[in-house]
Amino acid sequence: MSPESFTDLALRVIAREATDEEHRAIEAEVAASTARREEFEQLKISHEILLATVPMAGAVQATEPALPAHRVNELRTAVRQHFGPAAQRPAAEAQWHIWPHVLRWVFGGGGLVGLGFAVVMFCYANQTVEVGLYGSDLNRVRGYETLTPQDFSSARLVTFDQDAAFDAWQSQPLAWYEHAKIWVDNEHDLLHITQRMRAGQIVTMTQPLAPTDDGQREQIKSVVESLNK
Amino acid sequence: MWTDRELLVALQRGDDEGWDEAFRRLYPAAFAAARHPLAALTPSEAEDIAIEALTLLLPKVNDVDEFDELRLLVITIASRKAISERRRQLAGKRGGGDVTSLDALQDDETIRFEPAEKLVSHLNGGDLRELSQLLDAALSGLEERQANLLRDFLMHHQSYKELGEKYRMPIGSVGVSLARSLDKIRAHLQSTPKLWKELAAYLR
Repeated sequence: MSPESFTDLALRVIAREATDEEHRAIEAEVAASTARREEFEQLKISHEILLATVPMAGAVQATEPALPAHRVNELRTAVRQHFGPAAQRPAAEAQWHIWPHVLRWVFGGGGLVGLGFAVVMFCYANQTVEVGLYGSDLNRVRGYETLTPQDFSSARLVTFDQDAAFDAWQSQPLAWYEHAKIWVDNEHDLLHITQRMRAGQIVTMTQPLAPTDDGQREQIKSVVESLNK
Repeated sequence: MWTDRELLVALQRGDDEGWDEAFRRLYPAAFAAARHPLAALTPSEAEDIAIEALTLLLPKVNDVDEFDELRLLVITIASRKAISERRRQLAGKRGGGDVTSLDALQDDETIRFEPAEKLVSHLNGGDLRELSQLLDAALSGLEERQANLLRDFLMHHQSYKELGEKYRMPIGSVGVSLARSLDKIRAHLQSTPKLWKELAAYLR
C-alpha cells in the first residue's frame, strides 16, 4: 500500500467512513509495520485532539448570540444565592464609600453630638480672661509682681515691651476662646475692661484706676474675680 | 464601561451589576462551547448548558487573576457539560440510565465523543489559551481552502462525500488533503511538546 493510500485509508477508519474491507486492510498494514502503526496512532491522536479542541478554541472568539433576556433573572438569583443579599456584601472601595457615612454623621446624630461638643468647648474656652500689661510695669510696680496666673483662676497675664504691640492687642476683638481682657491705662488712669456678655455681644467699659499700687493690684484682682463669676 | 480588571474586582465582591455585565460578555462563548459538535445538542439544550456553566463560575471567581480566565473556564465547563449531557441522553435512550458505563455504547457511532470527553475533562483554562493560540496560528498557516475543509470535517462532521461535493474534489483526494492538513497542524502543536504530550496522554 502506498503511503498516500495508507494515510487516506487510515483517516477514513478514524473518521468512521471506512468499509469493513478497508478496516481489515488497515489492520493488516498496522500489524505488519511498526512505522505504519505509529503513523496510524499519530493521525488518530491528532484527529481526536483537534476534534475536541478546535470547537473550543473557536468559542473563545464567539461574540453571539446575546444572553437571552428571559434567563437574566435566573442568573441574578444564582448571584444572590452565592453572595447573599446585596446589603451584606463588602463595600466597593472604602475610600469611595466613606463620604456617605461622613455626610450621614454630620447631618444626623453625629452632627448634634458634634454641635454639643462645640458648645461645651466654647463655654469652657469662654472663661479665659487676659490681663494686658507693660513688662516694665511689672518690674517698676512692685505690687504687680504678685499678679500671676496662680492668683486668678482663669486670668492670663500678657506682657508687652512696645506700644505698637500693646495697642494692637488692645484694639483687636476678643478671640473666640476669650471671655474678657483688661488692661491698665496709666496715661489716663483708667482700667479698661472688654467683656463678652452671655448673649454674645462685646461690651467695653472703664473704671477709674486705684491711686495706689496695692489698690490697683486689688482692683485688678477684684475685676478678674467678677469676670469669672 | 468596566475594564477587565475593574470587572473582576466587582465580581469578587459580588457586585450585581458586575455580574450582569460578566454574564453578558461570557454568554456567547459559553453558548458556542455548549454547541460543541461532538455533543450535538439542540440550541435550547445548549442554552441551558451555557446558563448552568455561567452559574458555575460563581464559586471560582476568587481563584482567577484575570477576567479572561473566566472566559476560558466557562468554555471548558460548558464543553464538558455538553458532552456529558450527550452521554446522558444516549444512556437514557438505551434505557439503562447508567451514565458511568460505556460498555453499552461500544461499537456505536456516537462513541466518537468518548476521547473528546476525556480530553475536555482534563483541559484547564491555561491549556485552552495556549491551544487556542497555537490552533489559530496553525490554521492561518494553511491555505484558506484547506483550513475550511478541515473545519467542515472537524466541526461540522461533514462526510467525505459531502466534502467532495462542496469543495469539488474526488472523494479519494479528500482524505489525503485532510491528512496533510492534520499533519501540518500536528507539527505546529508539537512545537510545544509538553502540551502535546499532555493532550495525547489524556487520550490513552
